[in-house]
Amino acid sequence: MATAIGAAGQSEWKVAVPEKPLKDKTYFENLKTKVIDTNLCSRCLTCASVCPGGITVVDNIVDFPDYETKCLDCGACVRVCPRFVYEPRSGLGDYIDFIAGRSKRFAGQDGAMVTELLVSAIEMGMIDRGLFAGRDEKWATEMFHVREPEQLAITTLGGTKYTFADVLPALKEAIMFTKRGVGIVGTPCIVSGVRKLQQEYPIFRERVKLVVGLFCTENFHYDDISKFLQEKGVDFSKLVKTDIIKGKFISTMTDGKVKFKVTEAEDIVASGCNVCTDFTAVESDASVGSVGSEKGFSTVVVREENAKKVIEYIKEKGYADFGEADTSQLDFLIGHKKKREENIKR
Amino acid sequence: MKSMKKVVGPEYNLGEKIKTNVYAVGVAMQESVYPHTMTVFYPRERKKMPDNYRGFILFDPDKCISCFNCSFVCPANAIRMKEAPNKRYYPTIDYGRCIFCHFCIDSCSGGALKATKIHDVAYKDMDEMYTPTEEMIELPEIIREDKKYVEYEIEEDDLHLKRTKGEDYLFVDVPPPKEIPMVSECIDPDSCIGCRVCAEVCEHGAISASVEDGGTLRMKIDADECTGCGLCVKECSMQILKLNKLERK
Repeated sequence: MATAIGAAGQSEWKVAVPEKPLKDKTYFENLKTKVIDTNLCSRCLTCASVCPGGITVVDNIVDFPDYETKCLDCGACVRVCPRFVYEPRSGLGDYIDFIAGRSKRFAGQDGAMVTELLVSAIEMGMIDRGLFAGRDEKWATEMFHVREPEQLAITTLGGTKYTFADVLPALKEAIMFTKRGVGIVGTPCIVSGVRKLQQEYPIFRERVKLVVGLFCTENFHYDDISKFLQEKGVDFSKLVKTDIIKGKFISTMTDGKVKFKVTEAEDIVASGCNVCTDFTAVESDASVGSVGSEKGFSTVVVREENAKKVIEYIKEKGYADFGEADTSQLDFLIGHKKKREENIKR
Repeated sequence: MKSMKKVVGPEYNLGEKIKTNVYAVGVAMQESVYPHTMTVFYPRERKKMPDNYRGFILFDPDKCISCFNCSFVCPANAIRMKEAPNKRYYPTIDYGRCIFCHFCIDSCSGGALKATKIHDVAYKDMDEMYTPTEEMIELPEIIREDKKYVEYEIEEDDLHLKRTKGEDYLFVDVPPPKEIPMVSECIDPDSCIGCRVCAEVCEHGAISASVEDGGTLRMKIDADECTGCGLCVKECSMQILKLNKLERK
């Protein structure tokens, strides 16, 4: 690491300042007019993670209260925003390996391969902490730093939540504490945010060692989805698992299931998702999802060498069963998301 | 049992017995005329404390740079920073917790905290021991009844009291200990987001940020102006500033 103890410092340095499309406005106002107000914002919170002022989320929209007085006009938000200069990605992307896996150690959404990947990376010594999105009794997300496999005894860490989590602000915190590296898991927008942070700042490049992406069609704001599910008769105190299988949103409770078509929830899909074309998290080190493999298995798209090493470690230790996965099953959803390109030009 | 020796006291002859008895009577008579007591008659007299005695802590707001070092270093968590009306943060001390280690004074980079020799402040209850900033600026009110101050002296392997007329000064301005000169440096310039918080918080104007032509921001830390207080290191949101030993050329 370049920032090792005793490293010689510099007393003079230069910082590249990004260009402002709107010359006389602050950078946050630029971001607001270009990304937030145009509904391009994916609420990945990459800007909030680097903002030294106070970018936060107000009423499900990324905002900066009192930015007139508090914004330092440094341009960090604009530098890292993956959608300020939006290059939509789609398709399956490049990959080394396309497999299905089922963890023997953990229980999760399908094959619990996300948990297995991060925990194995901790065991290997590649990273010293993994960031997991846990949830409280009311299914609101909260971030956890997992450093020991034993911490996975908190069963709420596994499984999909279908609401936004503040992954990147937690990542910023984690890289300050880490000794070896951090592993994170996130939706394609979060993965893009991490890559943008890594591209801009070496501190993220050196310390974020493993980025696991999730297959994602769309995401919901917590307020909207909780209200919607309660209307459908879902009792949060009994809710065990949420899942989207073949276009149906299934809420499994201790005493039964509530099913409805995802298209019914179309109105509450977060606006940023309408312009997202990336289903498989193309920029990640490894993408994981349920589509493409048998029931009980997770599809793992291994894209980078570091993820390949983790998979080899899992194979060597026998922590998971592996099987065949079928790329053709992904085509429908990849195509479905690719159609959203039209929304961007509008 | 056979092997045990009987302990026997020393045997004196008559001449030695008379000598020791006369000496004892002599000491008794000397003490009755000129008592040689070890007791300090507080409050009529005070023990003279050394100049670096760790007592009540004084505070000078003009020298404070609100770097929070005192509250961070305090091992007893006795120091809390409170916002003053001028929007700055100043320390307050809870003497119910303070262990008088004076680490706060040693760590104070502006020299705003000073030690005094006052060790006898009375409080009515625990809540009163919490001392707000305003009460730390002036010496606490003390009714001085002492006319003498007392020093202990060792003479011929014997401890004596030496009494001197006059008042002992309770506040002696001890010069701060010689510090290792430190300077703030950037260890990862590429990760700088250019927020200029460091330049804004620097009390001594050591950090400058200027926009150059071509849209680059030039950051500079002036090693001559930097006092090594560490305020910028603490405030840097990317934590890329670090205090290093100043190597003068």
